[in-house]
Amino acid sequence: MDEQLTMRFRPGSIRTLSVTQLVRLISETLEENLDGFWVAGEVSNTRVPPSGHLYFTLKDDRSSISVVMFRSDYQRLRFQVRDGIALTVRGRANLFEARGSLQVIADEIEPRGVGALQIAFEQLKARLAAEGLFDRERKRAIPFLPRTVGIVTARRGAGLRDIVRILLDRLPNLHLIVRAARVQGDGAAFEIAEAIADLNEDARADVIIVGRGGGSLEDLWAFNEEIVARAIFRSAIPVISAVGHEIDYTIADFVADVRAPTPTAAAQMAVPSIADLREQLIAMQAALINGIDRELSGWRETVDDLSSRVRHPGVIAARARQEVSELGDMLHAALRRRTADARRSVRELTACLRPPLAQVRDLRHQIDRMALTLAHDLSNRLVESRTALAGLESGLRGRAAAAVAARRHRLAEMAGRLDSLSPLRVLERGYAVVRNERDARVVVDSSSVEVGDELQIRLMKGKLRARTIAREA
Amino acid sequence: MASKGKKFEEEVRDLEAIVSQIDSGELSLEESISAFERGVALIKSLNQKLDEVERKVELLTRSAEGRLQTSSLDAELGPRDRSDVDQDDEPF
Repeated sequence: MDEQLTMRFRPGSIRTLSVTQLVRLISETLEENLDGFWVAGEVSNTRVPPSGHLYFTLKDDRSSISVVMFRSDYQRLRFQVRDGIALTVRGRANLFEARGSLQVIADEIEPRGVGALQIAFEQLKARLAAEGLFDRERKRAIPFLPRTVGIVTARRGAGLRDIVRILLDRLPNLHLIVRAARVQGDGAAFEIAEAIADLNEDARADVIIVGRGGGSLEDLWAFNEEIVARAIFRSAIPVISAVGHEIDYTIADFVADVRAPTPTAAAQMAVPSIADLREQLIAMQAALINGIDRELSGWRETVDDLSSRVRHPGVIAARARQEVSELGDMLHAALRRRTADARRSVRELTACLRPPLAQVRDLRHQIDRMALTLAHDLSNRLVESRTALAGLESGLRGRAAAAVAARRHRLAEMAGRLDSLSPLRVLERGYAVVRNERDARVVVDSSSVEVGDELQIRLMKGKLRARTIAREA
Repeated sequence: MASKGKKFEEEVRDLEAIVSQIDSGELSLEESISAFERGVALIKSLNQKLDEVERKVELLTRSAEGRLQTSSLDAELGPRDRSDVDQDDEPF
């Protein structure tokens, strides 16, 4: 292209162009080189003549350029272009050939930075935050198991159907109160606020879900209105906001006790799943039974252990008996030694002094008597300690046996109390369990039994087989 | 607001406390048994609570005189047949 231009305007080959030729040449150059760009600037001189096209000037601090957006594109714009706002414009450069003036033809315009709605949103948000409407401390917990759920949303919206389906799937026994409200357009904010107030007046709901399915920022605007924020704040019933927009938060989201990203998520947050709850209960029941089983077998071990230790005193006694007899042997030996010593002394004395034989004999008698007394005392003592030992042993045996018997008795008592919880106790009162032989199921409904079916009847003691001869409802 | 007596979550907490007491092994035999009995009673009560509420869907509106009134939405949005509830692959 550049090459073509340079060729055309190469010095020496200059030819004179008509205005039209020049303008067309410029126009072609522009259109070929500047087709499709984004340009940012501030708006001034906005006008929309009867043609319906939008005209304005886009400028920055040094330059300005005219912009036109044709009617068909302008009608799709979601916001108003006014003097003073900042825009980003997508377009192409164009030369208005009749006047030779340059303009940008815009096909898309986006507000830049903070738009008017955004300003209003930020201001309201700041004001309500200052008043404490968003305070974390005032957020209420959603009841763990709500019985009644209030729903504020459009009567015919996809949101309502989703919420109801998820809620009833999770908790089939649930009471739902739908308070329909328009959720977009004029008056929507008022209807939403009124619906929240009505559910409070009705006062049966344990939690309220307020929301709608996804939509554009403008569609969701009702949830940014102060009246809705105040109604949520005033609600005595906890509120879950469910405005279908994953990213943006609405004012309602900030005030609500819980914010759900979508109506479906709100339904999941509102109630627990009954399947999970039943599973939890079954797990805890199992833990309870395991716990008591462990506890009881622990006590059983304690009793067994005590029983085995009852033999222990006998062992002690036997050991003591052995010790006593060893002691006796030692005493006998000591006695013999002393007697022998004494005899030797006497003999030595006799030999040394040669005393009269009678004196020696007396002495010997005396010694013999002493030895006898000593032996007698010793054997008496042995007998006494044997008796004491036997007494001790039987006392120990008695006490241990009594302790074991008491614990056995308590264990039996506890087992009895446990047993009273068993279904078999019901049989003792004369009830019976009837099973159909055909499918081995317990019969609770006569309609599940065919005439001719064999039934097994379990009584407290024994079983019966019976055949069905007739059936009554 | 419908709940009567102790709330479901309170009973669940009580039950958990009982299970952990028994597990701790610090209770006497008598205490263990009576804790077990309380636990069994709680499980029964919790299961009853799950069955308690009747399923229904209603629409709350205001009459011309400004009074709140309700009408049933069961036919449109509400309970499928009880017998359906137990089936796994119910059509939606």
